[in-house]
Amino acid sequence: MTQTEARPSTERDANGHKYVGKPAARMEGPAKVTGRTIYADDMKLPHMLHAKILGSPYAHARIKSINTQKARLLPGVEAVITAADLPKYKKNPTNRRSIVFPDTEALFAGQPIAAVLASDPHVAEAALALIELDLEALPNVIDPMEAMKDGSPLVHSSLSGIDRSEEQGHVAVDLESGNQEGKASNIASTTPFKRGDVEAGFAEADVIIERSWRSAMVHQSYIEPHSTIADYADGELSVWTSTQAPFYIREELATALDIPESKVRVTATEVGGGFGGKIYLSELMVSLLAMVVRRPVKYIMSRGEDMVAATPAPFAQVDLKTGMKKDGTITAIKSQLVYDSGAYPGASVAAGALLIGGLYRCANLDIVGYEVLTNKASVGALRAPSAHNATYAIECHIDMMAKELGLDPIEVRLKNAVVEGDPLPSGQAYPAIGLAECIRAMSESNLWKGRAASKQHKNRGVGVAVGGWMGGLQPASAIVTMNPDATFNVTVGCADITGVNTTFQSITAEVLNIPREQITVTYGDTKTAPYAGMSAGSKTTYTVGRAVKLAAEDARRQIFEVAATRLEATPDELEIEDEAVRVIGDAEKSIALTRIGRWTTNFGARYPVVVGRGSITATKMAPGFTCQAAEVEVDTDTGEITLLNYAIAQDCGFAINPLSVEGQMQGGVSQGLGIALWEEMQYNSEGQLLNANLLDYRLPTARDLPKIETIIVEVASEEGPFGARIVGEPSIVPGAAAVANAVADAIGVFINEVPITPERVLRALGKIGNGTN
Amino acid sequence: MPKQIINLRLNGKPTEVAVEPSWTLLETVREALGYTGAKEGCGTGDCGACSMIVDGRLITSCLMLAPQADGREVTSIEGLAANGTLNPVQQAFIDTGGVQCGFCTPGMVMAATALLKANPKPTFEDIRNGLAGNLCRCTGYTKIFQAVELAAERMATK
Amino acid sequence: MRSFAYHAPKTLDEAIALLHELPEGARPVAGGTDIVVQMKEGRTKFPYPQLVVSLDRISALKGIEYSAADGLRIGSGATMSEVANHPAVREHYLALAEGAGVVGSLQTMNMGTIGGNVCNAAPSADTAPALLAFEATAVIVGRTAQRSLPLSNFFVGPGRTALKPGELLAELRLPAPPTGTTSAYQRHTPRKQMDIAVVGVGVALTIVGGKITRARVSLGAVAPTPIRAPKSEAALEGQSPNDATFAGAAEIAASEASPIADVRGSADFRRHLVKVMTARMLARAAERAKG
Repeated sequence: MTQTEARPSTERDANGHKYVGKPAARMEGPAKVTGRTIYADDMKLPHMLHAKILGSPYAHARIKSINTQKARLLPGVEAVITAADLPKYKKNPTNRRSIVFPDTEALFAGQPIAAVLASDPHVAEAALALIELDLEALPNVIDPMEAMKDGSPLVHSSLSGIDRSEEQGHVAVDLESGNQEGKASNIASTTPFKRGDVEAGFAEADVIIERSWRSAMVHQSYIEPHSTIADYADGELSVWTSTQAPFYIREELATALDIPESKVRVTATEVGGGFGGKIYLSELMVSLLAMVVRRPVKYIMSRGEDMVAATPAPFAQVDLKTGMKKDGTITAIKSQLVYDSGAYPGASVAAGALLIGGLYRCANLDIVGYEVLTNKASVGALRAPSAHNATYAIECHIDMMAKELGLDPIEVRLKNAVVEGDPLPSGQAYPAIGLAECIRAMSESNLWKGRAASKQHKNRGVGVAVGGWMGGLQPASAIVTMNPDATFNVTVGCADITGVNTTFQSITAEVLNIPREQITVTYGDTKTAPYAGMSAGSKTTYTVGRAVKLAAEDARRQIFEVAATRLEATPDELEIEDEAVRVIGDAEKSIALTRIGRWTTNFGARYPVVVGRGSITATKMAPGFTCQAAEVEVDTDTGEITLLNYAIAQDCGFAINPLSVEGQMQGGVSQGLGIALWEEMQYNSEGQLLNANLLDYRLPTARDLPKIETIIVEVASEEGPFGARIVGEPSIVPGAAAVANAVADAIGVFINEVPITPERVLRALGKIGNGTN
Repeated sequence: MPKQIINLRLNGKPTEVAVEPSWTLLETVREALGYTGAKEGCGTGDCGACSMIVDGRLITSCLMLAPQADGREVTSIEGLAANGTLNPVQQAFIDTGGVQCGFCTPGMVMAATALLKANPKPTFEDIRNGLAGNLCRCTGYTKIFQAVELAAERMATK
Repeated sequence: MRSFAYHAPKTLDEAIALLHELPEGARPVAGGTDIVVQMKEGRTKFPYPQLVVSLDRISALKGIEYSAADGLRIGSGATMSEVANHPAVREHYLALAEGAGVVGSLQTMNMGTIGGNVCNAAPSADTAPALLAFEATAVIVGRTAQRSLPLSNFFVGPGRTALKPGELLAELRLPAPPTGTTSAYQRHTPRKQMDIAVVGVGVALTIVGGKITRARVSLGAVAPTPIRAPKSEAALEGQSPNDATFAGAAEIAASEASPIADVRGSADFRRHLVKVMTARMLARAAERAKG
């Protein structure tokens, strides 16, 4: 068990590092543990109104009329706003966020139809009940497998020119997604990957497994619901919002509202959890409401609204056929993946299709992914979007085939694991990756080594699975400014959710060789901060971290240029040590950094201000892989599964702050375990969500999860700062498969639907019927 | 509805506030009194982010009606760091990395503080039970468990 | 939450008088862990209250007392934590402590009261199976009279009780169990805590001279109200406490359940759990009898 604890670092390690690679306590820790951190709902603006939203009661309905008169008359109500009341803005029918209130047709239950604004949120809430809706329920389609069929009711008319800008923030993959041409269909896109000849591959196989795997629609369930404040005055729009993507929102708002980007200020407030679900949702709506009333407007989603009308992660059905030879060679992978995108496109089908054929070397692939529309809330990203659904299928198949052939699950994975140079199903070649290293590390874990002992107990099992994620790529920039007292300010444009600011502090400290405490890191808004991509796709340290390193190096170069003139040396003969610039090898010749600070800032200063600039574009993927193992005990009479132990090994390239890397690994694991065992958005046949609360939508509690054995693997990336690669997302991916494999090890049956509920266990064991009543 | 005056001791200070009966203690402390440390994650007592200690008992303040707090001793997260010094639980959360997004943290720290007050030497099971009403979505709890263990250890040796 | 008027009387009489003034519009609130949630979500099983009568200041509703002669008295205002941790409850009515000790979170248990758990009348109420097994009597006070009702008659339907407008549940009285009685309660939930029972089973067994002289089996979440399983009880009485006896009684208990399918589980799953868990609780109670 790793027990990492933050401690001050002073000594250089074997790599010559003094600050990076050392556990660092988060800079914002004290504010967060005392409740002083300000989230969007903690903010108040003068004259601010609260918005409450009326959602569609039906999954699919024609809006005939909306009578707001009674609601307007309720004392305290400032405005009741429907589609008809909004100023003109640019709509895109393929992008839910740009349809603030639908004019004629609501496409999922809970879709916003009208807003009430009042100074007192309770008054606004009460007024919602007074809005009279005249809706005509239309035929709906809730099950994506039904929606795919010819003759299914249409979710809405067929789409073209689908906006995929948000998806691309999470994963950078060359892919060809085609729209279904011709007749109207609920299939929004089709992603095929082919290689070799699968039928020939199956002919070679000694074992073939063909099964269908289903994984439930799940919700990101950040503990802070979506929260947004907007204000519009003098042609300028200001938005404070809990988002991972301030610059992306700026662009979307500027486009939709026809305001120059220079006049849109988006401030990412402290994000109380995002996990891919807090990119862009209500910001345009709240901005338009603020423009109508010319007052600041705040909208905080209730938990119920967030469950019903945010952007959960898709249900998927993955039909998979795989073949393996006796020696463990995988001969063919054939798969159809159907992802339920909800009422608008946005499911990252391509990622799932890519990963199902991208974990192992296999000469023959025939993969097709479908993104299917249904009358449910449209989906968004959840930590490696769409990866877990596909991985669950392929990783259970590996165990099933290995079991048939009497092969060891670790050995068979090692034999086939992709390595640098192997092609993805898209044809792209992998850069340096650490999948095999993770599998080897897992084979050395306490959990895996305790496997034999575990098997002494009845109904216990151990399972393993791997997973990975390609990561996103976006440009990034950073500024490092020297203050007169030789402290430094780092300014970036990315929201800090996971502790990246502390990572940037470590990077800057390492480059400048000064104590971490002398460096502050601020993320600015879209007017003050240098550009950064969204904090999604696991790329913040990989891209912005690289920009920070460059900016710190640039600042150091400027410092050396000043010092060189005084020390009679060239800049490359200098180093920073003990908070002074000195000539390498001659400690006598040195200048305190504080003097350089003053010389570059004082009245009549002889030297320009030290402002380091780092600006990059990222073109090389640094995929992250993980191998995870679960030990479970199954009560075969009640179906209950107890997680006894869990372990994760993950390649992070280089752990700049092991404390936060471990946190990312463990956090992703807990979400993967939620998917494996508890989480499921349960819709009825009318498209109503039945468990829109945190009691019946079951996030794992402290009693459900064991301490997680956490093993950091480091296979350096080519471009990342100090070799760091993507970290945040891979950890969620293999949990469902690892647990399913452990359950199968315990009871001999592979459960082909997650979450693996007690009821599903009992059905698989034949202890109860097939569950129609 | 007309407001009524309630008097409570908030973080040791006698506090008078006019409330509507339908306000919760959470709304009162956050909106009327301006202490925004406690968070509303669900509003239905299922997440624990609004946890406060009332008359020595850990409660979810989103389910307590404001007038029910009249005359009571209420401690919110703002009441833990006396004189600006973090309590051992708070310090341990920072040191072990038990804080990520921070939204569950105030409630989690309250629950851990209440646990260690009642049970200074908790077993691992005691810790899990003590925190089960507080959901964290970021950490997977491992580092929070370690934080509580570390705080207990430090409190025992002090 | 929509607005309402509020009173927090100090005496039972005041509370009853307030409830009586607005028989349809007034609503008593104790811990609030059920009713406040329902009011916030606008899904109360009664008209939204104009007046909330908070019971938290009424000292007559507090307290837990036990004597061998009179058995147990639990004020309806006793919290789940108080019930779960009370020494006499743990000694003589362990199943009740086990039921009270799993309701929601620690926070819920510190706020929620046993009266609230009973009056909310959820079929899944975790204290109900044990209370039924111990033959609790509900002591109800109204404006003019006090009446007592066996708890089995108190539950009328999902969310419905025998309380008339203007009446309050004042306390629960549980007779002292006969010598040789042990008990157990368990519920099935997908998560280990923070959940609602998919099935709850409470049993109380009296074993004298190696024979079961009295058996009580109660089930939660498998019928419109928490129920006793009288046929299962009859099959146990007079028998030796062994696995075969328990398996037979469990099978009968499953046939006495009439579960529905809902978001928490299907009917056949619930019936199966009744069988498994009844056998286990009987075995656990018998095990406890051995000390």
